[in-house]
Amino acid sequence: MTLYDKILTIYPQLQQQDFYTVITLQNDSDGRGDYIAKWDHPTLPRPTEDQLNAA
Amino acid sequence: MTLSGDGTITGLAAGGLPNATVVQADLATGVAGNGPAFSAYLGSNQSPTNATYTKVQINTESFDTASCFDTSLYRFTPNVAGYYQVQAACRISSTAPSTYVWAIYKNGSNIAELNVATTPASFDNRVIASLISMNGTTDYLEFYCYCSAASGQTFNAGAATTYFQAFLARAA
Repeated sequence: MTLYDKILTIYPQLQQQDFYTVITLQNDSDGRGDYIAKWDHPTLPRPTEDQLNAA
Repeated sequence: MTLSGDGTITGLAAGGLPNATVVQADLATGVAGNGPAFSAYLGSNQSPTNATYTKVQINTESFDTASCFDTSLYRFTPNVAGYYQVQAACRISSTAPSTYVWAIYKNGSNIAELNVATTPASFDNRVIASLISMNGTTDYLEFYCYCSAASGQTFNAGAATTYFQAFLARAA
């Protein structure tokens, strides 16, 4: 499951456009994988590591 | 070195005049500088995670006049301060309708972005361009792309389709 899928599992109400406006998932092609580079959603808090691991 | 009355300079040592003695106003019309310039491209197809800004693995150089492009970090770090004309293209494809984004990052931050929605599933190839001030020491540029579709998303390789280029347009 990708980071994107995990976040959608936690917050199914998110829209696709949220991921190129208020949320930025990023991969720097350095082998370290995807991560949350920006989380500026106006109502939903940034998911915690525990939430992501449980998703 | 000899400076003739007609403005001709002869007998310059290797390397020419020191930078500090030549300013833009000294150059005649049509005289281009020899600042850093590079062109590089994606050597093999890349499969990004959907909905994730992913650095395009620009790993093959067409030219790199000042050895300022790093094909391991996919990063341009020019060694002359000034204003750089930068352009990048990527052919992004997917097998589901998608939003595609092309973005130039400076020092890890998105500073120029192009955003296109495709319906139905397809591919799209756009060029993003920007004029960017660089300090000539630590500033660096990278190229990221984004594909929202979770099906068949690919950055297509090739010198003609997915490339990253920049050159010094004006010294600082």
